[in-house]
Amino acid sequence: MAFPLPRGITPSEIAFLAEMEMVTVVPRQRLEGLELLGGLVEPLVPPRRASIPLWLALLLKRQRRANIMPPAWLHPEPLGLILEVESQHQDYKNAFSPPPPLPGQPSVRDRDLEPTARPQYTPDGDRYYAAPPFLPQNTAQPVSSFSREPPALPFHWVEVSNMLLDAASDDLVDPDQIRRQLKDLREVRMAKMRSGVDVLDAAATGGGGVALTGVGAMEVGEERGFVAGVVDNLRKIGASKEQARREQMAEQRANGGYDGTQDEEEDYMEF
Amino acid sequence: MSYYDIDSILTDAQKLPCTFELEVPGLGILEGNPGEDIKPGTRIDLPLWLGEMLSIGARLGTSRLVTLDMPDALSERVMNALKAEPRTVDLRALAAHFYSLSERVLELFEEEEMVDVLSETFKRRAAEIADQAHNPRGAVGEGVEFLRGLDETERQLFRAAHDRAKEMRIWSGEAKRK
Repeated sequence: MAFPLPRGITPSEIAFLAEMEMVTVVPRQRLEGLELLGGLVEPLVPPRRASIPLWLALLLKRQRRANIMPPAWLHPEPLGLILEVESQHQDYKNAFSPPPPLPGQPSVRDRDLEPTARPQYTPDGDRYYAAPPFLPQNTAQPVSSFSREPPALPFHWVEVSNMLLDAASDDLVDPDQIRRQLKDLREVRMAKMRSGVDVLDAAATGGGGVALTGVGAMEVGEERGFVAGVVDNLRKIGASKEQARREQMAEQRANGGYDGTQDEEEDYMEF
Repeated sequence: MSYYDIDSILTDAQKLPCTFELEVPGLGILEGNPGEDIKPGTRIDLPLWLGEMLSIGARLGTSRLVTLDMPDALSERVMNALKAEPRTVDLRALAAHFYSLSERVLELFEEEEMVDVLSETFKRRAAEIADQAHNPRGAVGEGVEFLRGLDETERQLFRAAHDRAKEMRIWSGEAKRK
């Protein structure tokens, strides 16, 4: 192979994508608003808080022009809570802790409620439904919102936490504790991902699937090569069986027999 | 499987036991007797690509040149060993391209049970591979015996998992780039 990089997306590329997440900063110096391709960056006026992209926040932080407010989930207490859910809660023995709810989606506590999508409007008046990565999942929210919403890990949690620990550890509350918790979290979730191999063959032969709700970008990137390889190989091993099954089904269909395994939807599609 | 896939070419070269059904004049060179004829009933190990072509009559229902047998790597004895404990079997000693070989063989033979055994084997071994790949000292510690027994497909899997884990460690600053 001539191309040196493996297929898929490398960790630094994933981190690059994560740099467009919005974070909250407290500026120390005045900075005029910037009109960039990605949108308008609001003017920075100390000591007013502002939401700016992570890359700009890191730049300003390195130049000591701003302090970064840690995202709401990047504190020892919410991380401890998530870790407890991941490692001890019965319901999440084989699943990942749920991602932050979308706007309008009921939170985990009252999941019986029907989701009601809340549209937002562009400056031109067009209606749109915001979705990650255009949701502010890494901004610092007021502490009171904790009581309302259980803490959740956003899509880019590995990248954002790593970059913030690297560049702005003095802005975090108890960075050593956070570092330990993040390491534990990663290990717990990686182990779950790997134990998912048992159900992968159902996914390979069709009909099955593995729930990856709540898995972060970096975790997907890390396990992509392995999981795809396993699924591909299981498919190849099971190919002859699958072929036999298809032939059998085609035969039954040709004979006009109804074997009861086809569901009604399929029949409806056929006729 | 692409045309230039070296693993696919090497899989084609693996031997398959064949029994000749007809007399073939002058083909004794396959048996090591140049110039002689091959008698019906002779058993010779032929490469997969050749055996597959010669046995093609068997599938068409006409008279065939050879009948194929299961290769030793997929014999009953190996299947029983895999059923008992997949992780201790040295697949590499059986066939360097064990899974690719079994894919091809399963296309020729109808063996439903073997598909199940192999899928189960692959799953159990893949879980072990993932654990070894994410453990930085897996390749030098007690896992060395298991890793030596991986077939070519599993080695690629190990490599994918291991490289990704290493890249992650480098990116997050836990390990140095070499």
